[in-house]
Amino acid sequence: MTSPSAERPGQSRAASGVLLSLDGVVAGYGGGDVLKGVTFDVHEGGITCIVGPNGAGKSTLLAAVSGILRPRLGSISFRGENLVGSSPRAILGRGIVQVPQNHSLFREMSVRENVEMGAFLVRDRRVVAERLEHITSLFPIVAQRARDKAGSLSGGQQRLVEFARCLMLDPALVVLDEPSMGLDPKTLRSMFETVRLMHADGRTILLVEQNARAGLRLATHGVVLENGRVRLTGTGREVLEHPEIGALYLGGAVAPEPARS
Amino acid sequence: MGSSIVQAIIDGVLTGGVYALMAAGLTLIFGVMDIINVAQGIFVILGAYLSYSLSVHAGIDPFLGLLITIPALFVVGIGVEWGFMRRLKEGDRTAMSILVTYAVSIVIEGVLNISFTVNYVQIHAWYVNRSVHLLGFYLPYIYVFGFVMAAVLLIALYALLYRTRFGASVRASLQDRTAARLVGIDVRRVSTISFGIGVAVTAAGGMVFGATNAFNASTSYDLISRLLAIVILGGLGSMGGALVAAVFMLVLEDVVAVAWSPIWATAVFFAALVVVLSIRPAGLFGRQVARAQ
Repeated sequence: MTSPSAERPGQSRAASGVLLSLDGVVAGYGGGDVLKGVTFDVHEGGITCIVGPNGAGKSTLLAAVSGILRPRLGSISFRGENLVGSSPRAILGRGIVQVPQNHSLFREMSVRENVEMGAFLVRDRRVVAERLEHITSLFPIVAQRARDKAGSLSGGQQRLVEFARCLMLDPALVVLDEPSMGLDPKTLRSMFETVRLMHADGRTILLVEQNARAGLRLATHGVVLENGRVRLTGTGREVLEHPEIGALYLGGAVAPEPARS
Repeated sequence: MGSSIVQAIIDGVLTGGVYALMAAGLTLIFGVMDIINVAQGIFVILGAYLSYSLSVHAGIDPFLGLLITIPALFVVGIGVEWGFMRRLKEGDRTAMSILVTYAVSIVIEGVLNISFTVNYVQIHAWYVNRSVHLLGFYLPYIYVFGFVMAAVLLIALYALLYRTRFGASVRASLQDRTAARLVGIDVRRVSTISFGIGVAVTAAGGMVFGATNAFNASTSYDLISRLLAIVILGGLGSMGGALVAAVFMLVLEDVVAVAWSPIWATAVFFAALVVVLSIRPAGLFGRQVARAQ
């Protein structure tokens, strides 16, 4: 239903089943393991937010999910099927799309062309046209700036177009790597609002966020990663209100608040 | 004097079209792969020798022979990409590519010297030494035919890049390889085919070059320095830039040769490059910021 060839974009999904499951994932870049046995589930229809300090392995984790990095041990399964060893393209084909941390639009192409490139793997033009129409209704900027070069947009606008582009594949799982990176506070709010919108549109979202408080507020599930291991999982609220976590990560390094008891 | 300058401009535009085609291949390869293909000059000469051989030994017209030589050079390009280019690591690829393609160039040069000796040859056909007389100017048929062929192939290349799904994947890879991968483009395949296309166009350029100049394998050195100057002037990776720069450079060279002296023509060619780069360091149509890769 949610493969790239699916006809109807964005129907709401049950918020119960496990969509993506990591079990004992060990991975790294040659210089030792960054992930040292990571286990957690991403629930279908939810927003799962991964937080943790720099160097905890958040980006490495996303690289393993999208197939850029092959785990040394452990399994990653999507709807019960093993993903380890699949190419990034094959993983994309299964409906897992990633919006990277750095801006990734094709700067010399128009906004519309960029969004259409999101459906590169979809060969049926009719399906592409339908999705484009749906996505334009979600992201008015795609119509407003259709002919402008993507490189001429502001950082926040580019982020929105990247979101729009990733939805063209009608993904089952949208992976966002620190979407708040480099955005000013006002743009930040509208960006998080858009994540909520994508979620309301029926997408399951896996989010890595440096801005832990904002990320967890948005999330249905939270995962705290520390030193390549899962320190804590729970609902977004549970993680947000966990005394230790609050002191360690959410208060920031500047003025850690005393833990509530 | 006035009419001889106009004649020089006409000649420059006509030959510039052919150089534009050869330079387009070079800039395409750089744009997609960050590879500076120093072997482009010897590929042009290889194309010229292929056309020459088909014409001398099989009596095949050089233009008709392109149906054989273009696919042949495409295959050579694919082979070189597969054999060497894809083995270069992403980080130091540009620098290494200069060394590796130079080595490829030397090997091909050696093989050509053994096969054809170092004696100069030239491609002959009925249209090579004839001209059409138009409005008081002489237009050599080979220049006209060569220009038309280059224009047709450049339009075909443009259509391929801007009107097809494959072209979209090339342009995407040209702008951001990582982003291209993320939307499911097989960047490696795109690179291989782009390299093949970039080399294949030298078959056409080489045929016209070989019909308008006496050549041997060493002629490639003069060619590659001109082609590199053209793509750098146009802005590395910019097809339109290569086109404008090729015509500009060839017109300039021909006009200087007539108005001043042929001795200065080549010097002015490279002086123009220095002047333009001192004003626009990324070339005429180059991205004025460093590549974000």
